[in-house]
Amino acid sequence: MTESTAYTKVFDSPAAALDDLFDGATLLISGHRGMGVPESLLRAVIESSVHDLTCICHGAWPHGDDSVDLDDLVKAGRVGKLITPHGFDPDRPGAVRSLWESGKLQIEIVPQGVLAEQLRAGGAGLGGVFIPDGIGTRFQDGQEVRRFNGRDYIFRGAIHADFALLRADSADLFGNLTYRGSQRNWNPPMAMAARISVAEVDEIFEPGGIDPELVITPGIFVKRVVQTL
Amino acid sequence: MPSPERIDNQRLARRAARELASGEVALLGPGMPMLVPGVVPSGPGVTFLSDSGIVGVGHQAPQTTEAQGTSPGPGGSLLSTVELAALARAGYSTAAVLQPAQVSADGGFCHWTSEATPGLLPPGPAVEMAANAGRIVFMLPHTTTDGQPNIVPQCTLPIDGTVTRGVIVTDIGVLIIEQAGLTLTEVAPGWRSDDVISLTGASVSVATGLKEMEFSLDDMRPVNKVFSSGLEAVRDMPDGSTVMIDGFAGPGGMPHYLMVALRDHGARGLTMISNTAGIARIIGFGTPPGYQAIDHSILIENGQIRKAVASYPVSPSPARPSAFELAWQRGEVEIEVVPQGTLAERLRAGGAGVAAFYTPTGAGTLLTEGKETRMIDGREYVLETALHADYCLIRGYKADTMGNVVYKGTSRNFNAVMAPAAQITVIEVDEIVGPGELDPEAIVTPGVYVDRVVQRPSDFSPYE
Repeated sequence: MTESTAYTKVFDSPAAALDDLFDGATLLISGHRGMGVPESLLRAVIESSVHDLTCICHGAWPHGDDSVDLDDLVKAGRVGKLITPHGFDPDRPGAVRSLWESGKLQIEIVPQGVLAEQLRAGGAGLGGVFIPDGIGTRFQDGQEVRRFNGRDYIFRGAIHADFALLRADSADLFGNLTYRGSQRNWNPPMAMAARISVAEVDEIFEPGGIDPELVITPGIFVKRVVQTL
Repeated sequence: MPSPERIDNQRLARRAARELASGEVALLGPGMPMLVPGVVPSGPGVTFLSDSGIVGVGHQAPQTTEAQGTSPGPGGSLLSTVELAALARAGYSTAAVLQPAQVSADGGFCHWTSEATPGLLPPGPAVEMAANAGRIVFMLPHTTTDGQPNIVPQCTLPIDGTVTRGVIVTDIGVLIIEQAGLTLTEVAPGWRSDDVISLTGASVSVATGLKEMEFSLDDMRPVNKVFSSGLEAVRDMPDGSTVMIDGFAGPGGMPHYLMVALRDHGARGLTMISNTAGIARIIGFGTPPGYQAIDHSILIENGQIRKAVASYPVSPSPARPSAFELAWQRGEVEIEVVPQGTLAERLRAGGAGVAAFYTPTGAGTLLTEGKETRMIDGREYVLETALHADYCLIRGYKADTMGNVVYKGTSRNFNAVMAPAAQITVIEVDEIVGPGELDPEAIVTPGVYVDRVVQRPSDFSPYE
């Protein structure tokens, strides 16, 4: 990287990029079954002193000792509430289960497609959507149901968050992002739904260094970029 | 007497794969269903989608590293989680393959849960996958590890959905789910129907043609979606259809060749959903002297359009009215004016299985007069509904024979959002390539959304 560009969203470190994370913040964390997990950013949150975060993410997943995920964040006492379609792996329950069972962690279960659509609504400036997901199940309980064209739909409000932690393959200084394979997963809707989106990437390019046709998340939705550690 | 051996997961996956045929789009839940792509013989004949967003899960077991994702097989592409959910919700899958914890006689099931998670009951992707798929293939062990039936009269855990049409493949048999109840149609080698029934909690009838489970699989070839001409690709469009036609204002992204084909075909009484209803012909956008640009106007001038749904149906110059304006002044056509962003969002809703949404766009203006409004967090929103169509005519840069599409520059415009919103999506491209020749990361519209691919002839002129 050269010094040629005056404007850059690149921060020196994950900790610097999350310096203003605050107690009680709502945090979106990308990642799906260990793929596309923003591990350097998670480590920065683990090493911070914030607490009572509301985390919205796919859930905890078994992983090796050399990597981190949601479970480590929960174990470190950073999380007060979890909104997730998955929670934790039944075979490797970890801290999410134990803190949930002891009442120190609230968990709200939301079906995957519902959560994704609520994030998308938040990111697209919608007030909410009517979707059929969960009709006839417990996910309908207490919700507003309305009939359109002979079929029942549930109203789901938009989700907005304070921060999003993203994991991408490459970025340019403006925050344009590309992903690799199923690393993409929750990143695009989460990038749009948070006030401050922070992307951790393998490679950082000058503007113009990424083929515009390959940009999946435009830099407009990304406030900060850090090199993965 | 000891029970006969149960079949292993590989053979269970093979038996489940026998439920799928070439051309199907199958959503795979986590667990056992992810074994199915690996047992299917060569080629992407069935498009498998994983809940992590891979379209075209390959024959080879995917390699996962810590931070990076897995990649699709040849002819595959990637979707974000929200796009995958939209695809499932809009009913684009012909089948969903899931591993439930329990299934009941009435088709109720609970998914990703177990004794290890009492009270948590996370469904993962099962709710939207099961609710909108053509049918369900359940894969599960017939009993729990301590011998309790997984097929039960009533689920003891809260259900994630109810299946009216499906099949249950277990390690000892195959059962069909119908409104009338469960029918045992196959038993694993060495098993008698009575032994299977004794391990089933729900009441089961035995099919008259009860068979032993089979595991052989036919070769499944990818479906070739290429049509020989534009006319062939629109020939079955009936009068009175609703058709989406791409184009922003100028020629970029416009399916000129397909529009001419539709004019030649001559279907009438059409409702056309498009951004402008045709102004390229008026503005010119570099049209050579003595020629006229081909745009939506050619269908209006040919008397084929009954109604337009558009954001910009008039010419910018009152002195040079568009064909649509003239037809409207003559009382020959109806118009529904929709703000451009609302048009895009209504199309997206149509393609994502969303019935309606609240948008702040247009609140308090004439454009939303008479529409339902709602205050959300102190701001006024307007209820807008999804748009659907019978046909969609769009324009890409390159497509493969499976219908995967890449666009070029701003010619992407409404194409990508229209493609999922119609029953039959026809795309005109500059170049058709073989499966696997397009970079999966660059594919914007997966072939799942595209029914017909037409090559724009190299000598075709967008002017006449």
